[in-house]
Amino acid sequence: MKRKLGALEKLEADHAALRFKIKRDPQSYRPDFEQQYQQYQTLHDIFIADPSTTNSGLVALKDLIEFVSHVADLYPDITSQFPQDLIDILLKHHQVLEYDLRDKIVGSLALLKNKDVINSSTLLNTFFPILISTPSKSLRQLLFTRILSDLRSSNAKATNHRLNKTVQTAFFNLLESDKTSPKGIWAVKLTRECWKRQIWTDARAVEVMRVAALSDNEKTITGGVRFFLGADKEREDAAEESDDDNDVDMAKLRHQAGINKKSKKKARELKNAAATVKKKEKKKNAPPLLNFSALHLLHDPQGFAETLFSKHVQNTKNKFSLESRLLVLQLVSRLVGLHKLTILPLYSYFLKYLTPRQASVTSFLAYLAQATHDYVPPDVLEPLVQKIANEFVSEASASEVAAAGLNAIREICVRQPLAMNETLLQDLVMYRKSKDKGTMMAAKGLLSLYREVGADLLKKRDRGKDATMGIRAGAIQERRYGEEAIGEIEGIELLEKWKEEERRKKLEAAGLDPDADNGDVELDDDEEDWKKWDVESDGDSDDSGGWINVESDGEDIQISDSEDEKEKSQRPAKKAKLSSTTPAPGPAADAQDSSKTASTSLEPETKSISKLLTTTILTPADLKQLQTLRATNAITNTLPSHKRAQLLAARHADDPLTAETIELAARLGRKSSKQDKIDMAKADRETTHHQSTTAKRKEKKEAEGKSTTNKEKERKKNFLMTLGKAKGKNKRSLGDVKRTLLGHVERRKRGGKRGNRGN
Amino acid sequence: MTASSKKKKENKKKDFQKPKLKVGKARPKAANSTDTSFRAKAIALKQQALSTSAPTLEAQCAHHLGLLNHKSDTQRKESLAFLTSAITSNPTTDPLPQPSSVIIPAVQRLILDGSNNVRQQVLKLLQSLPPTDIASHTDQLLLHTRAAMTHLAAEIRVFGLEVLEWLLGVAGDEVVSCAGGWVKMLKCFLSLLGWQNEASGKWSTAKSYGKADSKLQVKQMNVLTSFLRAGLFYAHVVSSVLVTDSNFPLWQTEHHMLSGRSNVYAHLNLFGAARDEEAEMYEDREDRQRVFHERAEAAIITGLEQATKGGGELGRAAAQLRKAVKEGMTDFYREEIAL
Repeated sequence: MKRKLGALEKLEADHAALRFKIKRDPQSYRPDFEQQYQQYQTLHDIFIADPSTTNSGLVALKDLIEFVSHVADLYPDITSQFPQDLIDILLKHHQVLEYDLRDKIVGSLALLKNKDVINSSTLLNTFFPILISTPSKSLRQLLFTRILSDLRSSNAKATNHRLNKTVQTAFFNLLESDKTSPKGIWAVKLTRECWKRQIWTDARAVEVMRVAALSDNEKTITGGVRFFLGADKEREDAAEESDDDNDVDMAKLRHQAGINKKSKKKARELKNAAATVKKKEKKKNAPPLLNFSALHLLHDPQGFAETLFSKHVQNTKNKFSLESRLLVLQLVSRLVGLHKLTILPLYSYFLKYLTPRQASVTSFLAYLAQATHDYVPPDVLEPLVQKIANEFVSEASASEVAAAGLNAIREICVRQPLAMNETLLQDLVMYRKSKDKGTMMAAKGLLSLYREVGADLLKKRDRGKDATMGIRAGAIQERRYGEEAIGEIEGIELLEKWKEEERRKKLEAAGLDPDADNGDVELDDDEEDWKKWDVESDGDSDDSGGWINVESDGEDIQISDSEDEKEKSQRPAKKAKLSSTTPAPGPAADAQDSSKTASTSLEPETKSISKLLTTTILTPADLKQLQTLRATNAITNTLPSHKRAQLLAARHADDPLTAETIELAARLGRKSSKQDKIDMAKADRETTHHQSTTAKRKEKKEAEGKSTTNKEKERKKNFLMTLGKAKGKNKRSLGDVKRTLLGHVERRKRGGKRGNRGN
Repeated sequence: MTASSKKKKENKKKDFQKPKLKVGKARPKAANSTDTSFRAKAIALKQQALSTSAPTLEAQCAHHLGLLNHKSDTQRKESLAFLTSAITSNPTTDPLPQPSSVIIPAVQRLILDGSNNVRQQVLKLLQSLPPTDIASHTDQLLLHTRAAMTHLAAEIRVFGLEVLEWLLGVAGDEVVSCAGGWVKMLKCFLSLLGWQNEASGKWSTAKSYGKADSKLQVKQMNVLTSFLRAGLFYAHVVSSVLVTDSNFPLWQTEHHMLSGRSNVYAHLNLFGAARDEEAEMYEDREDRQRVFHERAEAAIITGLEQATKGGGELGRAAAQLRKAVKEGMTDFYREEIAL
């Protein structure tokens, strides 16, 4: 007789069902688990006898491994050996394992880590050696994602410094131990990915990449160098991207929750969605996380740049491709420009490559310009500029070449104006009469640059109005090598003037002589200033209770540096000696003050400015006043020279200079072909086929996941279908009619059947 | 009539229009005809049997060994049946069509096969092999047997017992003395019978998921009895070397001869991974007695008590088992009792 099977017995040969039961009640199913574990052990023994088999017995082992790893955390005493077994199999036999089983073991180990049976460092210490040694591409990919997700999850709540440190040390050791091996690329890849996802943002990760950039393997080197050149931009992009993806449409979800079947799960989902939306909102309002770029986190950039240059660029023994050599050169020049380093052999190295026939010469030109800063000695740069002028800029050379050369010279001179001499400049400026548009524009650019930074090198008729006036007035002054601009606040003299006027007004109102020096009155003035510390709390005297009033002999707080004052008193004197015209402060910011007549002596004014800056602390109210004064004084802002200066300032010092910038000028004059014009005109048109307005609207609605409205359905409904209802309506009793009408009114008030609950 | 309905009608008409046939013209193709022609530069025939003579028995056997991985269970069974008949029909003086060392590793994993027919056929095939060959592959066979005995499916568990019974009959001594053969098997039996070694609780545990009925338990106990008999009793002394006076000046010649067994020094474990207590080989009867006493005896005795109370077939099997334990352990020197 065949016995009828119960539901439980039918499921007997099903690991998933047993797993489910075990999770419910681990103690009752302990013997069953033991039995399964024994089965696992037996299969494990069979497997160990011949790890490379691909026969069907492996399926069972795979299932058992999955089963045991899912419930291993419930029986820690039985399964103490289990993780180590898996690790051993993977480490010893990963090359011969059948790939399904291999992937399963990797997944099971990750699962065990998620269940806290093993810790992260064990997991990573297992995965990483396999990652760098396995010949299988799919396994590498799997391990790579696993390692990354593990690092990510263990750093999700708070930074796991200990784990990061061990992993970074492992990477460091890998790179240090064998500099020639290509295995280092994995350390580079993982670090870069972690950097991109903002898992690692510290100097230690940068240190790993530094070591990678200084290794001997070309792939590792380019990996490391690319990290420094592009990782920060990548990080920003990734951060922006993660903001817009998986947007939850809350209104839609609420609507669906109203219509679909109500279940606990649905309610939970809705709640979770609301929480994520809230979180995102919070994140959006939070101040942006400030991360330092990799180039700024570097220790000893001078040493790094020097070693990079001498080891990879200058060294002729290594057989790197031009591309990777250029990459390293780009990094070196970037470092030199950013940190204002001094590597003199770098400039003489460039000399060899500055010919129009050199491959990717525009890159070389760009890197040369990038490596220039105001601490580079002009006599080092002068031969380079001369060579560019000789090789590129001549009547005989092609117009693109000339434009690129002129542009490169301009980029160099922006950074170090002293690299130019008078005859060369005047010669180059003549190209503004060139017929080629690119060359002409480049030459004009050079001209306008020197009108600002070194007008006296130009011929008199080329100087322009601003520069000529400035030179005559002595406002424009050549800056000497190594000289720094005096730090100051833009428009501070306006504030000074305004304060003076205010004071005079007050004194006149009080009936005093405005020109007499009166200490007591000044004190009052100052106290008032302190009261107006905060702009928002206007006149709230309670606020100033927290501040300590320092009043002694009518003096206010003096924060002055004795060195500063000494310097400031010395500098004008020095200038007076050097310049033949009337002495004046150098900075260009003074040009704003052009409304001021040149006749007044500027020397005392300089002193007064420094007095205001050094003797008082500007309150927020002062700063606000300063801002308004600057805005009212905006006439100067419309001047073309000022606009140019603003554009120049807008270009961030951290932004790299690329070959495109150099090539840009040459592209100006080029005429576009007919096909290009057609393409350009067509570019903004998306659809090629014609569509009616209604069809477009409908499509738009469907794209939003909406169908027709109820109103629309009503309108489209077949007439015959409405007849029955209409007939019935006539036969209703008066009470029924009243009820329906009242119901209608009621619904109107509530705003529909379901009311306005959704909002 | 509106424009759309007219259009629809026209479309419908088009669907059912009969193609016109014309004499002397090729028949028009149906709307759903598929073009199966293809173009190729060359057509390569992958295999071509050029031999006129039938393949030898050896080749056929090798082919069928390869078919043991086939996904269809009928095919597997038939291949096994072919191998069985080839071996049984082989005259005993001739060597087997394929050596046992090839057949057994290929066949042994089918002990765990999902289909009952295949499993039964495997057992038949194994029984047809010469017992001396089985003895040298005991450890691998035993591993698979144990896997079958702990399998999730009840059928396979029963079948595992059958295989073990046969194995004990053919090579009992090797079974109990191979690596892991003694302790691991004992553990396996204990967990199958649900007799807990460490007396964790006096409370009876609920009959849990996937436990067998009493029939299976009887069978398990019977096999355990024969297993213990093989392990705890004196082995029959097989004197292969004839003890005669012909080699008079030499004494105890058999100890100096090369052993007939393969892998004589397996117990030294020269090449394998380090073994723990469970996986160790226990070649002496005394060793086995000691380990049995330490690990299993108490559990078996308590388990037997309950089983005897059950009476019936179960009680009889329990009595047999008790007898076997008692006889096997008579001469074991018990320190605990002496103290």
